[in-house]
Amino acid sequence: MRILNSFIRKKKKNHLEEQYRIYKYQIGTNFERENPQMEVSSLPISASLRAKLISAGYSSLSSLLSASCSDLARDLKISENEAIGILRVASQRKGSERSNGTSSIVNGAQTAWDMLNEEESLGRITTSCSELDDILGGGISCKEVTEIGGVPGIGKTQLGIQLAVNVQIPMDYGGLQGKAIYIDTEGSFMVERALQIAEACLEDMQEYHGFLKKDLQACQLNRKPEDFLENIFYFRVCSYTEQIAVVNYLDKFISEHKDVKVVIIDSITFHFRQDFDDMALRTRLLGGMALKLMKLAKKYTLAVVLLNQVTTKYIEGSYQLTLALGDSWSHACTNRVILYWNGNERYAYIDKSPSIRSASAQYSVTGRGIRSSVSNCKRVKMMSRVRIMEADTNACIKLDCLYHTPWDAAFPRTRMNV
Amino acid sequence: MSLALEDFLLRDLYVLVISTEHYHNSERLKEGITQVLTIINGQHQPWVNGQELLDDALQNKSSLPTGCRRIDVFLHGGLKKGHLTELVSPSSSGKTLICLRAASRVAKGWGKIIFLDSGNSFSSKRLAQFVTQTSDPSAYEVDKALQQVMNNIVCLSVFDIFTLFEVLHQLKNNLISQVDQHIRMIIIDSISSLITPILGGGGAQGHALMVSVGFLLKRLAHEHDICILVTNHMVAGEKGTSKPALGESWRGISHVRLLLTRDQARNISSMSVLRHPHMATGDRIEFEVQ
Repeated sequence: MRILNSFIRKKKKNHLEEQYRIYKYQIGTNFERENPQMEVSSLPISASLRAKLISAGYSSLSSLLSASCSDLARDLKISENEAIGILRVASQRKGSERSNGTSSIVNGAQTAWDMLNEEESLGRITTSCSELDDILGGGISCKEVTEIGGVPGIGKTQLGIQLAVNVQIPMDYGGLQGKAIYIDTEGSFMVERALQIAEACLEDMQEYHGFLKKDLQACQLNRKPEDFLENIFYFRVCSYTEQIAVVNYLDKFISEHKDVKVVIIDSITFHFRQDFDDMALRTRLLGGMALKLMKLAKKYTLAVVLLNQVTTKYIEGSYQLTLALGDSWSHACTNRVILYWNGNERYAYIDKSPSIRSASAQYSVTGRGIRSSVSNCKRVKMMSRVRIMEADTNACIKLDCLYHTPWDAAFPRTRMNV
Repeated sequence: MSLALEDFLLRDLYVLVISTEHYHNSERLKEGITQVLTIINGQHQPWVNGQELLDDALQNKSSLPTGCRRIDVFLHGGLKKGHLTELVSPSSSGKTLICLRAASRVAKGWGKIIFLDSGNSFSSKRLAQFVTQTSDPSAYEVDKALQQVMNNIVCLSVFDIFTLFEVLHQLKNNLISQVDQHIRMIIIDSISSLITPILGGGGAQGHALMVSVGFLLKRLAHEHDICILVTNHMVAGEKGTSKPALGESWRGISHVRLLLTRDQARNISSMSVLRHPHMATGDRIEFEVQ
């Protein structure tokens, strides 16, 4: 009786296996017909595994899919884990190939119309300098990689810290209410300075709050400058390997901290300018890093800000200042802003952008951080845009320049008491 | 005894038949061999003669406008369907702008466009500007027309070469299975940033991937009468000159290669031919940037 039972069980098992084989065969042939040329060479697997696959005769995806992981491990002389890895990649690819039931021609694509509607609601991070914000179209844009370069001492790090603070401005004040990641490769981040900028930002917010409530007494905000510092995640990087490691880790980190809205790397260049003999390797590493940062910006709707140094380059018989890291790198960003001196004044110039026109604007670095530097002639111009806020009980008239955009409003600039 | 496909490709067929004699099921094996051989022979593409090619070219391989009249005149009508056109230029000299312009023009009355973006530089705002620039002033109509045109452009972010493969294969399958998708153009901005991280380093894999992307693109272009536009950047060459990136083996892949340069001071761009099936190399025009 027992023997009979086991016989039946065995027969059942055989039957199942047979069915399974038929099923697998059907998938395989269907797939083969649809994808005669799907090659394993286009799978994201390592070069050595790929070579082993091809030499073992697994040249098409369908041949791979009909193999079990133990067969594969035996044929390729690799561990079962590696074989499972290959099969997983292959089946993922197959899954994406076959799921064409949706109306869109490629999975995950968006029409330009949807993107336009989305773009309009996209937040921007103010630079605290209205002129700079104006030429940037409202501030540093999310979902994009912005490169900021300039000579030493022009205020790159200052701008970086300012952005790390400004990203935290609450929604009510037109900000993003996000957090910041600051990756410091040069050791130039100064926490005291960040505190100063945070204090100034908070003061500005309180002042604005006062305007909003039409009340002279500044209302108490329940935030301390220290809170700003708490929301800046700081990574110190001491070599280019560490820098690559941090960039690779960011994806995991941000997926756990979804409220990060800006990633600042100060500077992207530093470690890549020293100890590099193999320029081709450098280009490759930087190219890969640029794509990862692009992906982060898009995936998590955040702004990536890369600070870059300048270098001299020999162009047409003379040495000229250009941004470091060479020609290939110059394609790695969406927008590029160059900071430069014009006499004793600091200027920012938009060198590259797909959506905004090239323009330059003056800014200044003050004790309170980055601010607009309205010289006398400019002030006259601004006076024409001044509006009278409201007379209060003291017959004190507050003048304030027109707010163009909600985030502009966070920083009242030319305020006078008459 | 069993035979692998490899046996058919590597071994002499006569020897193969003889070698089956020793086995008890030689008859069935022989039968199998003839069957397999007919299948293999059935795989080749049908031949066409020159007249048919010309008919196909005249009928299906027309040109698509770029949205800039001067370029269209220069290129004898614009970007040709079935061709892989490559735009090469230094950073910020207007590659993306030309791509967006062409997309806005083709979406308006020609068909759908797939824009593969690797630099987050697809600006729908700028695109909308281009579309509305040439529209009638009636506000309601403009909005409706804009929506229609913008819905014709599909954008997808691609950040590595394997995703690009996935997308292209998916596209190929969808184009085969679904009859007319009206896909007229595929833009990849930029292909060089996807390929640069995998090139070099001793291994040949990166190289193989680059070439197979090229062939896949050309195949898509040819079989489905699609115009493909890709952008490439410049790298430093010898003696302070610059040359297109991706090296010699990529150079042979595109049908048309155009160099774009920009004079910042005069705000004038120029386009010159580096490679074209029927235009002389070095032909050049200047046009104003808008």
